[in-house]
Amino acid sequence: MNRFLAFTKKEWMEQIRTFKTLIVFLILLLFGLTSPLLAKLTPEMLKLFPIEGLNLAIPEPTWMDAYAQFFKNMTQMGVIVLLLVFNGLLSQELSKGTLINMLSKGLPRSTVILSKFTAASILWTLSYAVSALANYGYAVFLFGNPFPPHLFFACLSLWLLGELIIALLLFATTLVSGNYGGLLLTGGVLCLLLLISILPQSAPFNPITLGSGNMGLLTGDTALGDMASACIVTVVLIVLCLAGAILRFRKKQL
Amino acid sequence: MENLMQYIPLLIPVIALEFILMVTALVHVLRHPQYRFGNRVFWVIVVLFVQIIGPVVYFVAGRGEQ
Repeated sequence: MNRFLAFTKKEWMEQIRTFKTLIVFLILLLFGLTSPLLAKLTPEMLKLFPIEGLNLAIPEPTWMDAYAQFFKNMTQMGVIVLLLVFNGLLSQELSKGTLINMLSKGLPRSTVILSKFTAASILWTLSYAVSALANYGYAVFLFGNPFPPHLFFACLSLWLLGELIIALLLFATTLVSGNYGGLLLTGGVLCLLLLISILPQSAPFNPITLGSGNMGLLTGDTALGDMASACIVTVVLIVLCLAGAILRFRKKQL
Repeated sequence: MENLMQYIPLLIPVIALEFILMVTALVHVLRHPQYRFGNRVFWVIVVLFVQIIGPVVYFVAGRGEQ
């Protein structure tokens, strides 16, 4: 336990020194702040620059647009930021050989994986929570309606998707070597899941639902049960990914 | 235009965050002359003129090892 805390602390320091904390926190917060603003201001700006001969009938934006923007930004840019920032989580230390010292001094390999996952999770959770709160504050201020249905669950499921991506990235890095192998493999798996999600029957079992059904929860288009079962599947997948990462990492030649 | 003006106070935090990101990246570019690729002038331009994406690209891809 002690070693776990020490290594997690080291990971945390590394995240700060390599500016990962700054990037993830600021970028996610920017998404949170700008999403409701964009939803509110885009129609106004379009009115300012009328295009000759083009009559745009823009409906008045509602609170739904604010959250739609937020979920869209988070699932697209947010995921890309996560992938890029946490790409080097394990692969960089492997390629530089900085882990060998600590492992030969008796640090268990499972601790390395779990610590890295914990440190990355803390950063993602903290940044995402602040961002979601900022988004909520702005949305309520601009559009009113402080109690959209199932908003907490919708936000929570997207958070869970982020956790899955971190776990998947760790697992993928132990499977393939090189600095970008893990990134490519994770991207590939996400694309595959995205393809599967074309089939509507897959929705209750596909983790992608956590990123695509959020707005549906607010509008009532996504069934709560579908989302809940997708959440359970995702939690199982996270555990499997971590277990797989530990098993693979134990056998990996450094 | 007045319609838009009333949202200025809401935009201030957004601008402040972008500014923080930009300044941190700029200071880092100027203090550390080693880059993975490109040179100082290139990174200063990227960081200053590509909003949000510029500093992120610098920290993720352009920052050299110490």
